[in-house]
Amino acid sequence: MPFLGTTLNTVGLLFLTHAVYSAHEHTATFTHAALPLDVTFELLVSIAMLSAGIVLSSPDLKPIQWSQWAAKIERGGRHGEGKWTREGEELLSEGDPYAFLGLDKGIGGKGEGRRGFWDVRGKRKEYAEWAREGAK
Amino acid sequence: MNDERELAISPIVVTSVQHNTQVVSNIRNLTASLFGVAAGTLGLESYPGFIFYLVGTLIVSALIYAFRAEGKPSEYFYRPLGDLWGGDVFSGLSGFVLTWTLFYGLVRA
Repeated sequence: MPFLGTTLNTVGLLFLTHAVYSAHEHTATFTHAALPLDVTFELLVSIAMLSAGIVLSSPDLKPIQWSQWAAKIERGGRHGEGKWTREGEELLSEGDPYAFLGLDKGIGGKGEGRRGFWDVRGKRKEYAEWAREGAK
Repeated sequence: MNDERELAISPIVVTSVQHNTQVVSNIRNLTASLFGVAAGTLGLESYPGFIFYLVGTLIVSALIYAFRAEGKPSEYFYRPLGDLWGGDVFSGLSGFVLTWTLFYGLVRA
């Protein structure tokens, strides 16, 4: 379903751009003439495709009745939607919105950066290795 | 009173309601500016433009009804008529008029 939505959006945007460009060219050459039928048709088709694509690529609705909502969780397990931590807690926020900047380890890979979560297992492993080396 | 008892028997999940309203208003805002682009490029003026918008939102509501609510709007909306068919129609209108006038000015005028 997401694939279909993205395809519809992409093709629709291409058609829309082409239709608007054609309309612009047409009015630039013949002012005050009615828009040709094919341009109108392309425009309407592109709008229909884009709105279908937007609806299809939007997130799923959630049932509002408590019984159905609970039944959905029971059936699909608690890991059905959204993001979850390894401990089974749902991540309600979007997380770090600036993660794409790659500043997790600070500028230039030095410094503490913006770490919100401390990797306990990795640190424990690191400590175990350090302790083992120290014992020799 | 009757309403209250029914809510006590089958309670409503508030986070789901919020999520659904947000999804619908997101779709409405995106499609409203899209219809503005179409209306401006077609060169619609005054009432036909607004009628175009209303027809467009009706089609989008039907799409949400068919693909997102799977034909059972009462499962996803507390008041299907107000929240699905009429939800956020007028909040999208400002976005519609914005792109409508912009594209009318760019393409037609």
